[in-house]
Formats: sequence, structure tokens, C-alpha cells
Amino acid sequence: MDSSDKKPLQPLDESRFQVSPWTLRVDTWMGRLISFGGISVVLAVLGMLVFLVWQVVPLFTGAKVTSQPELRLPAAVVAFGEDEYGALPFIGLADGTIKFLQSSDGAVTETWTPELAGRHVSAVRAYSRQGLVLLGLDDGSVQFAKITYRVEFTSQGDRHLSPQVKLEKPLTVGKLTSPVRDAWVAQSANGSLVVLQQELNGHPVLTATRLLERKGLGGRVTVIPGTPSVVAEGVTDIAEVLVPSTADTVLVRRRSHEVLVYNYNENTEAFALTQTFKPFANTAQPEISSAGLIFGNVSAVFANRQGAQEVWSLYPQKQPDGRSLRRWGLIHEGETLPGVPQGIFPAEGNKCYLVVAGDRLQIRNMTTGSLRWEGPAPKGVQQVIFSRNYERFTALTSEGKLVRWKLEDRYPEASWSTFFGKIWYEGATEPAYTWQSSSGSDEFEAKYSLVPLFYGTVKGTFYALIFALPIALLSAIYVSQFLRPEYRNIVKPVMEIMASLPSVVLGFLAGLWLAPLVDTHLISIFCVILILAPLGLLVGAIWAGLPQPWRRQVKPGLEFVWFLPILAIFVTLAWQLGPWVESLLFTVKEGQTGTAIVDFREWWRQVSTLGYDARNCLVVGFAMGFAVIPLIFTIAEDALSNVPQSLVSGSLALGASRWQTVWKVVLPTALSGIISAVMIGFGRAIGETMIVVMATGNTAIMEANPFSGMRTLSANIAVELPEAPAGQTHYRTLFLGACCLFILTFVINTLAEILRQRVRDRYKVI
Amino acid sequence: MTRLKVRPSTERGGRKDYISIKNFGFWYGSKKALESISLDIPERQVVAFIGPSGCGKSTLLRNLNRMNDLVDNIRHEGDIQIDSRSIYDPGLEVISLRRRVGMVFQKSNPFPKSIFENVVYALRVVGVRDRALLEEVCETSLRKAALWDEVKDRLHDSALGLSGGQMQRLCIARAIANRPEILLMDEPCSALDPIATGKIEELIHELKEQFTIVIVTHSMQQAARVSDRTAFFYLGKQVEYDTTEKIFMNPSQPQTEAYISGRFG
Ligand SMILES: Nc1ncnc2c1ncn2[C@@H]1O[C@H](COP(=O)(O)OP(=O)(O)O)[C@@H](O)[C@H]1O
Ligand SMILES: [Mg+2]
Repeated sequence: MDSSDKKPLQPLDESRFQVSPWTLRVDTWMGRLISFGGISVVLAVLGMLVFLVWQVVPLFTGAKVTSQPELRLPAAVVAFGEDEYGALPFIGLADGTIKFLQSSDGAVTETWTPELAGRHVSAVRAYSRQGLVLLGLDDGSVQFAKITYRVEFTSQGDRHLSPQVKLEKPLTVGKLTSPVRDAWVAQSANGSLVVLQQELNGHPVLTATRLLERKGLGGRVTVIPGTPSVVAEGVTDIAEVLVPSTADTVLVRRRSHEVLVYNYNENTEAFALTQTFKPFANTAQPEISSAGLIFGNVSAVFANRQGAQEVWSLYPQKQPDGRSLRRWGLIHEGETLPGVPQGIFPAEGNKCYLVVAGDRLQIRNMTTGSLRWEGPAPKGVQQVIFSRNYERFTALTSEGKLVRWKLEDRYPEASWSTFFGKIWYEGATEPAYTWQSSSGSDEFEAKYSLVPLFYGTVKGTFYALIFALPIALLSAIYVSQFLRPEYRNIVKPVMEIMASLPSVVLGFLAGLWLAPLVDTHLISIFCVILILAPLGLLVGAIWAGLPQPWRRQVKPGLEFVWFLPILAIFVTLAWQLGPWVESLLFTVKEGQTGTAIVDFREWWRQVSTLGYDARNCLVVGFAMGFAVIPLIFTIAEDALSNVPQSLVSGSLALGASRWQTVWKVVLPTALSGIISAVMIGFGRAIGETMIVVMATGNTAIMEANPFSGMRTLSANIAVELPEAPAGQTHYRTLFLGACCLFILTFVINTLAEILRQRVRDRYKVI
Repeated sequence: MTRLKVRPSTERGGRKDYISIKNFGFWYGSKKALESISLDIPERQVVAFIGPSGCGKSTLLRNLNRMNDLVDNIRHEGDIQIDSRSIYDPGLEVISLRRRVGMVFQKSNPFPKSIFENVVYALRVVGVRDRALLEEVCETSLRKAALWDEVKDRLHDSALGLSGGQMQRLCIARAIANRPEILLMDEPCSALDPIATGKIEELIHELKEQFTIVIVTHSMQQAARVSDRTAFFYLGKQVEYDTTEKIFMNPSQPQTEAYISGRFG
């Protein structure tokens, strides 16, 4: 080379070695900006978790109880009650007098005495919730005293309650005319029931009488007692009578610790013994010391002198003759109480109860058995009533005091076992994981098991991935390793556009188009799926067996052009084959007529005894698969394409085939990227909401049946959050679901990341 | 002109035209990369391809085991025969050709697997399961590649932990484990330090007892040290092909002389 055209180097300029302050400044600031960004992301994720946890934690705090001033009562009290707000408690005296007390100081504001025309009150029972005092009279009749409150606002704007008591007409409901010793009333939507206890020859006599309401002229309602029926005839050792508000049952507990169940029979219009049961029959001490019906009146809690508890509930049970009848059965054995139980009092509006045991008071949840609160009991608690909103409770003591507490227990149903355990709900035939958050009835007990939602989540994800993974990964391998670049450059952007398809659209298509299609052409779809793999392998084998000169005709990477028409033909054939296969394999006899019908759905119902829903796992799998495929494909394809060409050449030069190269070199090298792709697809599937909401029936069931729907954690949140009142158990449970979803994805992603790191270290390319 | 030490070409038995390139032309798309190359490579000798960058040495080398098939839009004319059989014979599987014609690349490319798995890769590919056989082949190949003593205690460690020279020798071991007849080497020492280069050159010397070796090099010293015959290419054309001695001592073409004396390239 000519050295003359090489110019001498410029003389060295000192400033060239100095780094400009601007460069340094940009460098530091960019560094800070990047750290800030990274830390912000971490903080945002942590913040989300903290928020979720913060929403959830209150669920696991117990009840908070604060005592309020006690009221000293002016006279010996036999019954007491309260208005809805606890502002004006009332007491019932033995002679039927009702006194209203100021809740602040116990001063009597009003006194009401019944006018009984010479008769005398022999029994008093107050029903605070109904605003009802039942007076039993010495001539064997009963009279209701109805309490209503008029709300007035004073000029200062204070609320002022003025009570009014209205005595209704006497009702002759018993068979005897001897004095009423005790009386109970139950009111339900389909009638009322009055139970009287009287005495004959020194033995107690119970009579139960239904009250029928007749609407007379002018809308006036007259109450007509039905025929009284004697209950527990000849039973002389009556310990306690429980009258559930269903108004069709009387439970009589005997001193022999047996419980007799009398039910109203619509046909005979009389009460008859339907069941006898004995709580604690299997324990050494079957002595019942307390019993109480629980709100809803289909469950009762019993406690024996040792403090053992049993919950009995009314639920359908198989009888020896094969019929299934609603009978009382043991559903829970509660924790042992801290002392001798002296009384069990139901809460209002939920399944909690207050139990006086020794010198302790406990509020417990009947369903979960959890202890909501425990505190010291005042002396001589005789009766406890809860306010209707479950925000207060008041105890009447034998010392003539009303002891009052304020109660803060917003999540009485919540406990670990509620969310994650198998629970035997009242009325259910067995313990189960149940999610059922609302219903029309007030007495409904919400069921918040997250387990079926977990199950649904895992099931949906499983079906989505089982559909998406093979397709996405195989096509990523094909496109990155075998397809000609010009086609790859078309496929990739198309897939990327697919990845950005809103899931609402996919869900919409899945629900309205795919679900009916799958429903009617299920077997055809199966045929197509079943034929794909063998067809591919067969065509591959035939292709490999063709002589070289023939194969040379097709450019490498363009084989698919030949495969496509073959594929189309066979797919069409398989599709057409569907109905034929169905008639061959899935013909069933219809239950009644015995005519043969060709219907896979019916066949499945009969053979598996499981259900068949039109919106089932397959639809979700297909639809979610479509959401997930482009994602997995794109990332996996990138990972596979990024395997250095030198490794591929190295393998090919050693005489490996293209497939061997892919299998032995490309895949292991790209494995960490493929794991990432799968994880991202998994994350999308597990959190996918709209598709699941729209393409499944959203039933929270737990069965592996591929032809049933599911409810996922995320869909559950989407569906129910709008109607869950903020801050309540339901609302917070949904957040707990979100929290679990977060933790689930976090754990799985972390595990996958550890695996990915291992793989990457192993197959790291320099 | 630098004086080069030239090894005298040793005459060994074997076919003179073991590899026979006949009027070979080659196009990348519309770009002609090689033009009517004709040369015969004798069995069990080392032939060096030299020439300035971009003159088509690698292209020709990669054609010998049809690695160029991986490139799109290629076209060739003329023929290449190995042992009297055209490598373009439609009945010949490319895979079996590549098993006969091994290749070592410019940039060492060990697989991200253990040293052992790298060496026995070719055997694994043909389905050898016999552990004893695999171990034996691994050891003999590594010994032939003069790597055995350095790696025998860590055969199951990742190959990526080796030094550059060791990796390249591993690639050679991997290629000879396949028992090829021909070994193609594309600038195998260009990324190595002199000591590693020396080892590989020594190796080439030993390997030619068994293999026919075609080596592309941009180092004239290397060509002179290791090869029996040398071909000089320029702009896709074969300028001169003769014994190494002749090319370096007494080239018949002025271009060859200019290149060898370092006046261009
Ligand atoms: N894959 C390819 N596609 C297109 N042109 C190529 C390709 N590989 C090499 N070439 C071109 O062919 C010519 C010869 O290249 P190459 O054989 O690599 O030269 P050398 O190895 O002698 O430096 C160069 O001009 C180069 O640009
Ligand atoms: Mg080159």
C-alpha cells in the first residue's frame, strides 16, 4: 500500500481525554432514572399486595365488645326486649305490666298495664324482634301485646321514641282452661304457631295450635286458631321447649336428654312425632345443660355439663325405606366450653350464638365453630338478646339488672375454615367446599369457600394451556426453524396482532358462536383433533420415504404448501365423520320411551352421571387458548430464533438432521426463553377474566368433568365485586380471592423463574 | 518478500483426486461468489485455501459439505465429486455427506452441554447408546485433539467453561469423533493466541495421517506450516493451485506473489 496517502495523526489535543461534564451528568441521571423506575415497579407491586392484605386482614380479627352502663331494674322482671336501636328497652313483669326504660339511666318512661277483665296473667314471654309480648292467662287463653314505636324529632333534632302497646283480642288456643304456665309463639310467612304449657293432674301438657289469618271485609285480618293438638302427650319430664320460627315444628327436650321433634302435618292438620334424637349419645355425659335454636331456625346447639357442644341441623337424610326426608342430624361437634354451660342464645341475622359457660361469655359461630369473642359473664345471666343489626346484646341477670354491651363483629362468618376448609353448612347433606355468596332470603347463610374457585382457576388454566401449549410451542418451533423467512415475516406480525385482541371480543365469540358450535359438533371437533397428530406424522413419514429427487422438487421450508391441501381434505373428512362416529359409539336409549337417540351429551350424562353444560371447559380451553397462543408463540419464537446460528450449523455439520438439531441443540438452548413464554401464557390464562365470565356458566362447582363449567377467582371478582357492599365480608372475601390469586401466581412464577435460571445457567451461550 | 519456512510435501499413498472440484461456479442470489473453480485434492493431505477477505474461500469450503444449502437463493454450476461421486447426486443424503465431511468453524461453537456430550454428539445423533463405546470414542477423540489431558477430570462440566483454544480443539475432537474422511477447517485459529494456534497446527499435522484436510487461512505462515498444497483465490477466481512449496517459493502468477509478499489483502 502507498504510505504517502496516510496522513500523519493530528497532534494530540489534551481536551480529548477529558470527559465532558454533560456526559457524566447524563450518565448519573440516567442511572438514577433507571433505578427509580425499577424501584417504583417493585414498590407498585408491593403496594398492591399491601393493599390487598390490608383489605383482607380485618376478616381475621374477632369481635370487639365494649360494655355499656348497666340498668338497674325497678321490679322483678320475667321478660324483656328492646327496640331496634336499643334506645328504649322494655321489661315485662309477672302481672303483664310492660315498662319502658330510658337506655341512658334506666328511668321508667312509660308503663303499660293490660286490661284483662278480671283474668290474670300467668305467663309472659317477649319477642323483641317481632315487638311482641305474649301473655298467657289463667283461663287458658293467650293475648298478644304488640309494641310499636313512634319516632318523633324534638325541636333540637333529637330522636325521640314514644312506644305504643296494643293488646289484641284473647285467643283460646289450648284444650284446657287451666292457667298457662308458659307460652311460645312462632311467626312465619305461612302462618303462626302458638304453643302452650299447662298443667293437668300435676303433669305438664303441651298444646300446639296453628293460627290462621283470614282477611275479612275491609281488609281487616282476623286470626282464627286452628285445632289444637297435644304435643308430647304423656311426657312428664319436659326440660325445655324450643319453637322454631318456621311455625311448623316443636322441639321438646326431655330430662332424659332426648329431643322429640313434632311436625305439623298439612293433611291431618295436627302435630305428630316425626323424630327422636339424643345429642351426646356417644359421649360419656349425655346430660344436656343448655340448648338454643340458631337464627334461621333449622339448627340447634346443645351443650352438656362438660362443656361439649353439638350442633344439630335439619337436612335431607336417607331413610331406611329409601326416601329422603328432612331430619335433624348432627353436623358439628364444637369446641369444649370453659365451664358449665348455662344458656345458649342466638344472635340475630347470622349463625352466631352467645353461650354462658361458667363465668365466661362466649360468642361463637355455629357453622365454623370459631370463637368470635370471650369475656367475663355477669352474675346470674338469665337471658340474652341480640339487637336485630347484631350490634348490641343485652343480658338480663337474676340480680335485677340489664347488662348491656356494644358489639362490633362485622365478619361473623369469616374464619380460615370458611375460606379454605370443608364445611358442613346447615341444611346440607355433607361437608363441602361451597361458594354461594347471596340469595333472596334474609336467613340465607353466605358460603365463602375459595376452594371451588381455586379449582375452577386451575381447571380453566389447565384446559387453556393443554390446548394452547402444543399449538403455540410447535408452531414457534416450526416458524423459527423450518419456515422460510419470507413467511415468517408474515406470520409473526399477524400473531402479534392476535395477541392484542381484546379478551372481551374472544369471550363474546366464545360464548355466542363457539359454545353452540362445540355443543352441536362436539364429536366432529374431536375427530378433527384426533386426526391431526396421526395425519401429520403419517404425511411426514411418507414424505421422508419419498426418493430424494422427488423431495428436491420442494424447496426446504415450503413443504407446508403441499401439506395444506392434504390437511384441508382430511379435516373435512374427519368433520363429516363426526355424526357417523357419534351414531356408532354414542347412541343411548332414552329413559322413558326407550327410543334410541344419537347424542353424545345424553350419552355422557348417562355414562358418567356427571352433567353436561354447553359452556364447558372445552369452550373455555379453546377461547382462552386463543388468547394465550399468540403470547406464548411470540416469546417462544423469539427465544428459538435467538439461538445462535453457529450452534445450528455446528450440529448440521456433524450430520444431524434438522429435527435432531432442533431437539438436541436449539430447544435446550432456548429452554429458558420457552419457560418464560409458558409462564407468561400461564399468567395470562390464570388471570384471564372476561373470556371465563362470558364463555362459562360461572358455576362454582368442583368436578374434573371436562363438560362442565367453572368459576375462576378472577371471574368471581369481576362478577361479584360490583354487588358486594364495600367493607363487608363478601367484599373482603373477594379481596382475599384476589390475594390468593396474587400469591398463587407469585409462587408459581417464582418457582418457574428459579427453574428458568437453572436452565439458563446450564444452557447459557457465551 | 518474507522468507517462509516451508514443510516439504510428503508423498503419501492415496488418490490424487479424492476431492475433485470441476468447473465450479456459485451464486448468492444474483451475486457470483465463485467462478469456474477446478482443483483436485489428494487423499490424506492438507490443502490450504488462501486469498484476501471475500474472495470466496469459505464459500468453496462450505460447498464441500453443502453447508451452503442453508442459505436462500443459491445456485451452482459445475460439480464437486468426493471419491468419484458427485455430492449433488440426487440419491445422496446431505446428512450422510456431512457425516463423511466434518467441519470446524472459524468461531468455535461448542454446544451448551458438557464436554463429553459435545464430543459424542455425532454418535448420539446416530443413536449410539452404548456407554462404553461413547466413553471410548470420547477419549480417543479428545486424545487426537490433544485435549484429553486438560479436560479428562472435568468431562461432565460445561464445555463453555473452556478457554478459546480448548474450545476450538473440542470442536475438532467433536468433528473427528464422527470419523469423517475429510475435515474442513475455516480459519480455525483466527481467534486464538499463538500458543493455542501452535497446538492446533501440531494437531493438523497429526490428523492428516488419517484425514484429508482442507483449511482456510488468512495467515500465510500457517498455510506454509501446515499444508501440502495451497490454492490461492482472488475475487472468486482460482488464481493458482500447486504444492505449498511452489506457491510460496516460486509462484507462477504475479497476483499470488503480490499477495504472498503482503502487498495486498
Ligand atoms: N450468506 C451469504 N449471502 C450472500 N452473500 C454471501 C454470503 N456469504 C458470503 N457472501 C459473499 O460471498 C463472497 C465470498 O465470501 P466468503 O466465501 O465468505 O469469503 P472469504 O471466506 O474468502 O472471506 C463475499 O463477497 C461475501 O459477501
Ligand atoms: Mg471466510
